Amino acid sequence: MVAFSMRKVPNRETTEISHVLLCNVTQRVSFWFVVTDPSRNHTLPAVEVQSAIRMNRNRINNAFFLNDQTLEFLRIPSTLAPPTDPSVPIWIIIFGVIFCIVLVATMLLILSGIQQHRRKHKGPSEMEDTEDKCENVITIENGIPCDPLDMKGGHINDAFVTEDERLTPL
Amino acid sequence: MEKTRPLWATPLQFVFACISYAVGLGNVWRFPYLCQMYGGGSFLVPYIIMLVVEGMPLLYLELAVGQRMRQGSIGAWRTVSPYLSGVGVASVVVSFFLCTYYNVINAWAFWYLFHSFQDPLPWSVCPLNGNRTGYVEECEKASSTQYFWYRKTLNISPSIQESGAVQWEPALCLVLAWLVVYLCILRGTESTGKVVYFTALLPYCVLFIYLVRGLTLHGATNGLLYMFTPKMEQLANPKAWINAATQIFFSLGLGFGSLIAFASYNEPSNNCQKHAIIVSIINSSTSIFASIVTFSIYGFKATFNYESCLNKVILLLTNSFDLEDGFLTANNLEQVKDYLASAYPSKYSEVFPQIKNCSLESELETAVQGTGLAFIVYTEAIKNMKVSQLWSVLYFFMLLLLGIGSMLGNTAAILTPLTDSKVISSYLPKEAISGLVCLANCAIGMLFTMKAGSYWFDIFNDYAATLSLLLIVLVETVAVCYLYGLSRFESDLKAMTGHALNWYWKAMWGGVSPLLIISLFIFYLSDYIITGTLQYQAWDAAQGQLVTKDYPPHALAVIGLLVASSIMCIPLVALGTLITRRLRRGDPDPAPVA
Repeated sequence: MVAFSMRKVPNRETTEISHVLLCNVTQRVSFWFVVTDPSRNHTLPAVEVQSAIRMNRNRINNAFFLNDQTLEFLRIPSTLAPPTDPSVPIWIIIFGVIFCIVLVATMLLILSGIQQHRRKHKGPSEMEDTEDKCENVITIENGIPCDPLDMKGGHINDAFVTEDERLTPL
Repeated sequence: MEKTRPLWATPLQFVFACISYAVGLGNVWRFPYLCQMYGGGSFLVPYIIMLVVEGMPLLYLELAVGQRMRQGSIGAWRTVSPYLSGVGVASVVVSFFLCTYYNVINAWAFWYLFHSFQDPLPWSVCPLNGNRTGYVEECEKASSTQYFWYRKTLNISPSIQESGAVQWEPALCLVLAWLVVYLCILRGTESTGKVVYFTALLPYCVLFIYLVRGLTLHGATNGLLYMFTPKMEQLANPKAWINAATQIFFSLGLGFGSLIAFASYNEPSNNCQKHAIIVSIINSSTSIFASIVTFSIYGFKATFNYESCLNKVILLLTNSFDLEDGFLTANNLEQVKDYLASAYPSKYSEVFPQIKNCSLESELETAVQGTGLAFIVYTEAIKNMKVSQLWSVLYFFMLLLLGIGSMLGNTAAILTPLTDSKVISSYLPKEAISGLVCLANCAIGMLFTMKAGSYWFDIFNDYAATLSLLLIVLVETVAVCYLYGLSRFESDLKAMTGHALNWYWKAMWGGVSPLLIISLFIFYLSDYIITGTLQYQAWDAAQGQLVTKDYPPHALAVIGLLVASSIMCIPLVALGTLITRRLRRGDPDPAPVA
């Protein structure tokens, strides 16, 4: 695997398995390895090996059915998967929905309030006309207005039906 | 023709309005902290004593004044004595400050609520750094929940001097918060009366669901045991008693004028004594209930962190000494550590600095209050629960309900005097007045969405209301008892409600409560004077933690202005009334004698 990774690096296409040397193998499946340069007989710098491994980390992991947490390369930081970023942040969508609902509800309440206001203003103006008419009929004696009991917004008591309607017409 | 005063449709609406106003965020995020700091179960003793001695009498007084005078705070105190309308004005000023900064909490709750609909929750993972090898450094040093709060939500600046620009995301949420509040108060008691059914009842549903979930969490009992084991020696600590008194005082929302406003929409024959007792008992029980929920969640979070810490130590030792997997467990950790220390001393001393001392006690002892508790600690616990999106949505929905319920009372305190005033209400309908007040508050609230906004928020939270309210309520109590006359008030109440005034209330109003308030006031003043310069906690991004800094002079000036602007109303308006009366007495009376 390591040789395969090294082969992916430009100028190192001729790396063979025999160029990868293992040492310090322990029972807990951990070991040190170095990659030698085939022509010049020295070990390759760690940085090069690290970047090569990093690029092919996924394939190495998959070959062993392991992942970054279970197969650890010391001093090779794993490339973390970034969280999925939707094009429109989700919170704006929800904000927009709730904002529109609240705005519409507010508008409805304000409009119905204005309508009620207008109805109230029409109502009292009609009442004022009838009151004016009543005022004209007030009898004045000695400069003191008589109390027009029957004209001032009198309530008709329905319990007392007028006699004419009770008797059958002759 | 005079418009009849709008009334609550049923007395139940009035009770719910008072409950939803009094039961606010303080019950959830301040009381559990106090309970933890001052001896757990034994804190309930001073708390209940203060409730009976201070909370109930003062609440009854405010409700009775509002119901009797049938006007907002300015009109009510003007009726008591024309020189005292300054008390009403001071209440309105304090309520105005409160409205401005309180709704910012609702804006933050909206922000978190909207972000709860993602998987994974955005505060559970750190964002990646530039070359995707690790996490952002600030997030590594702090935790992901702290990073989300300080960087993503607040985008906080390192100190209060660097104000930065208005952040558009919190600003949008603030606009939405004010729109929601406007929707609820638009029609006065007609709309508020219906909204309070939700804001009073739904939080209890959510709290109950959380109680059941919290008690079944792993490790909840650790938190509950820690909280409720009484530490009786704290009863001798005067700070415990002072904090109990303060908590009762501010939790009930006395002195803002909201209670007077709510009570003024009552029928005169309403039995406000019964309602005062009910509201204060429900408020305190909710605090205790909320602290049970909070502490079971604390226990879960502390146990989770303790176990993760242990697992990290186990992994470290397993790796360093090539031990067999599963050999090290939480139970034999100490023995194995001793064995390793004696068997491989050199290697052990290399690894030793990295081994953290995991302690459940220290995790539980991190006592947090305020926005830190609500937005950092709770979110940290929620992200580890199963189906965390659901719990997150429920939790922030509950915070919103509590916050908006309190905002209804706060805005009522400002709007009732305005709509009572004949001058203003003849020009503008009440929808327009409410709209203008909301707009003004929203515009000023943009200050708190700037980068340094959270520091200004803390200033308003700590200083805008504390001293002024104590003074306002003191003047209120003294005015009713001695200026208006306790016997006159008693006969008024008897004529109004039909019940005679119990001797207990008379004793409390006349003597005990004013003395308590005076001692609280003296304590606060001496505390401010002794500590000298005022300090605040600033977030240091490089270290990933809070550091203490001194307030700069202009911030101190603002603090002084906040306190002075409300307190000065009382003597200034009294002086103004005195002067106008003297001037009027100078001119001959122009009204003809009928």
